Amino acid sequence: MKLFGFIIVCLTGGLLLYGTGELPDWGDPHSPASIHLSNDYIEHAMEQTEVPNLVTAVLADYRGYDTMFETAVVFCAGLACFLLLRDFRPKKEYYYRHVPTGVVLHVKNNERQIAPGKEFEDVDKDWVPSDTIIKTVCRILIPFIQIYALYVVAHGDFSPGGGFQGGVIFGSSFILLAISYNLKTLMKRVSEKFLGIFSAAGVLVYVGIGAFSMVLGGHFLDYSQYIPFFGEHHIRALGMLGVEIGVGMAVTAVMAIIYINIVSEGRHDEGL
Amino acid sequence: MDILVIILLAFGFLFFLGGAVGIIRMPDFYSRLHPAGKLDTLGIMAMVGGLALYNLHHFSLGTVLLSIKMMLIVFFVFMSSPTATHSIVDAGMRAGLRPWTRKPKNNTIQPRETGKE
Repeated sequence: MKLFGFIIVCLTGGLLLYGTGELPDWGDPHSPASIHLSNDYIEHAMEQTEVPNLVTAVLADYRGYDTMFETAVVFCAGLACFLLLRDFRPKKEYYYRHVPTGVVLHVKNNERQIAPGKEFEDVDKDWVPSDTIIKTVCRILIPFIQIYALYVVAHGDFSPGGGFQGGVIFGSSFILLAISYNLKTLMKRVSEKFLGIFSAAGVLVYVGIGAFSMVLGGHFLDYSQYIPFFGEHHIRALGMLGVEIGVGMAVTAVMAIIYINIVSEGRHDEGL
Repeated sequence: MDILVIILLAFGFLFFLGGAVGIIRMPDFYSRLHPAGKLDTLGIMAMVGGLALYNLHHFSLGTVLLSIKMMLIVFFVFMSSPTATHSIVDAGMRAGLRPWTRKPKNNTIQPRETGKE
């Protein structure tokens, strides 16, 4: 079986290498991409879209379909993680920490005999005592990280940034919270249902902006159809901002879903 | 003001150099993290502080804002770098890595069995 896989990998790699022989040279000025496409974007993007950041203009306007399905792929990644890893079976073992003394009890029973409260604390199997320094620093840093993520999303069309990057930064703040405290603290703040709906809503915002321009009588993702609502000034930048918000929502939620499902093996109660 | 900028940059350079030498020359994991965490923090403080001061040559709202942003970077590094070092050391201790000592018989690093805390 290993040999079989090795042969397949070698064949595919050889085919790909063979295929690269047909490609234009690296940085070839006569390749089709350098003759028509890039020049056209560089020359006309500013007057056509009024967006200073050409990369965002290409991503969210000229190639809006591409980015939309990228968002769908991100959503599918989160969905696949959920479907493959989520484990709804009840846990058999419980660990509790006696808060005043720090002793950890291991209860091997299906029924919870100790109610977690002031005296006993629900802890993980690989319990690590919480560290005050890390907790405090993360408590200070997480709001700044989240504000920075929103800044990156909002500035996508004027400076480097955008929905994917901003979403990843926002999702990483969730992950930082789960690492510095524990997973239960994160799950108390953002529930699984919320994350699922939020990631789907992100894709829906993107597709909805595209589809609503069809309702108004234009093409799919034709931002100029929104002129009656927002005026002509920077209308494409505004449309891109809406689309980027959708991307950011989807990426944020999917980051959290993937992390939560992987670290806790789908149980959502312990891990790291 | 130029003199102050040069002094700050040289100060930061000295600390970065010390940190780099320390990371290479120190004997084990924990003592290497020590220069990495401490000297980089102070080095970046001095260097970016000097650059932020240099940026104020043309005094206007834009440059002041830019300097404030640079000092914000310093602030976040100042907070997060020692904390990251602390957590790495913590993880090393938890995983059972013994600190280096001068005695040769304890010099070999062997992982202790990881028991429940």
